Amino acid sequence: MDIPYTVHARPDTGLYNAKIGIWLFLASEVMLFGGLFSAYIFLRVGADYPWPVHDLDVTLGFINTVVLIASSVTVVMAWACLKLRKFGWYRINMAITVLCAAVFMFNKTLEYKAKFAHYAVKLTDGTLLTGHLPHGYQIKFGDVTELELSVPVKNSAVTADPVGYVLPLIDGEAPKFKTEDGQEIALDSKSFASLAASALEKAKAANKGSASIKLVSATPLKFIAKPSEIFGYTATTLTFRDGTTATGKLTDDKMTLEVDGVDARGVAQSEKSLAFDHRYLGEEWQKAFVANRDHHIAKFEKDYPTRDKARSATLQKESLFFKLHSATPPAAGEAHGDKHGAEAHAPAEGGHGEAHGHHPTVVLEKKDITFFSNFTPKLNTYYAIYFTLTGLHGAHVVIGALVLAYFLCFDNKRLKQDPEHLANRVEVGGLFWHFVDLVWIFLFPLLYLL
Amino acid sequence: MADNIEAIQKSIKKYIAIGALLIFFSGLTVALSYWELPTHSLNILVGMILATIKAALVALIFMHLNHERSVIYKILVFTVVLAVVLFVLFVLAHDDPLTFSGFYSPVEQ
Repeated sequence: MDIPYTVHARPDTGLYNAKIGIWLFLASEVMLFGGLFSAYIFLRVGADYPWPVHDLDVTLGFINTVVLIASSVTVVMAWACLKLRKFGWYRINMAITVLCAAVFMFNKTLEYKAKFAHYAVKLTDGTLLTGHLPHGYQIKFGDVTELELSVPVKNSAVTADPVGYVLPLIDGEAPKFKTEDGQEIALDSKSFASLAASALEKAKAANKGSASIKLVSATPLKFIAKPSEIFGYTATTLTFRDGTTATGKLTDDKMTLEVDGVDARGVAQSEKSLAFDHRYLGEEWQKAFVANRDHHIAKFEKDYPTRDKARSATLQKESLFFKLHSATPPAAGEAHGDKHGAEAHAPAEGGHGEAHGHHPTVVLEKKDITFFSNFTPKLNTYYAIYFTLTGLHGAHVVIGALVLAYFLCFDNKRLKQDPEHLANRVEVGGLFWHFVDLVWIFLFPLLYLL
Repeated sequence: MADNIEAIQKSIKKYIAIGALLIFFSGLTVALSYWELPTHSLNILVGMILATIKAALVALIFMHLNHERSVIYKILVFTVVLAVVLFVLFVLAHDDPLTFSGFYSPVEQ
């Protein structure tokens, strides 16, 4: 059966059917993205933190804007060339369009990857430190000789599973344990199953809700875990995600951070930020911070004498969000954050913290940290809506590119026999592609610039 | 729409010109975003006006909305109205039934 009106217009609408179809679809797409833009407005109006402006890589965003506009031009050119039966030019234009989509997604990948690897750490006084965690973040727990496992009699969401949740976190070789009966076992799923079964029998006989199993290790154990791999810990106990507890000693829960930015906008007296504590960045960086802050305030007062300093979000950002470009504080006189010149300095010996690459390294104590996250939706609502909108837009780019690539590579029969039909297909695919460009036209300023 | 060969031949140059114009407007948007207006809201306003102009160019020229059959405009009228409603919804978040004081504003004392 032939689909009607693929080439010629239907008399009542004056259009071929696919065109009505794509416009109806685009209308619903407008509502989809419209809802998310509406969410953006809500989140921005209600944000209780300085909304990030120019925080993303503007150059990369601008390149992507140019790439998408270029692809919009080439896709409409491809359609026009097909109408004029210039098949060679049609192919070239279509290939450039698909290539542009690939470049766009490649840049997007670079941008996302940087966000996943970059961290923000909020300190108790409201300071936000940004930087990288060169060794990740791990909790180290030592001197563990005893594990206490709990197996509920009734089915429960949490039940002891030491093979899955405890053993992988042991630093070193798999240990041998002694059970309460004095048996020596190597803990694996088989030995644990028989252990759990006999413990459950005893618990049932004693009419208890859960069976408890105590295991004593012959040698003291050491555990190394990411915070997400365990349930919680205190100075002397470590609770695993299966409910198992270990008694021992917390040896290390400090965070080693390569600091590339100090955001003191959340601190009442910015120069007294915890970041400049003698344990962390110290006095020299504090001086550099104050010099940079006062430089920007003085410049603002000179450039805009009549304006209210407190109401300029840009000034707040420039003066209080201090970027660190070198391992050691820049010398006095060149302490302005917007200069990269400080990078030329050789790392001084015996400075504050260990000199590491282009950024100073600080070792943060757990008691000073209230929250940390990489630059993902967990960090704040800005990154939540950023990933939602750009992710959905990226999915549209991929799907649009697949459709156009299909026309280019697998529709050659139609190209020879019925080019007018292919031209209509390309027009419809192109309309979708222009819509993707149109969404980006709003996304780019809203997320990168304003 | 006028899809005859001559019209399409003419429009090819137009497409390239519009593409260049769009890139120029994008550059302008970036540049203006670094120029601090009295309030940041004004920056947002300027940026959004530029974005709307760009979007209009894409819709009118690339998507051929400058000469389309009436049925498509009829579809889009609903879309535009409903989308605009979405964008002003946040106004409703300003007040709730407990704090809403109607349109009465107390006389200054």
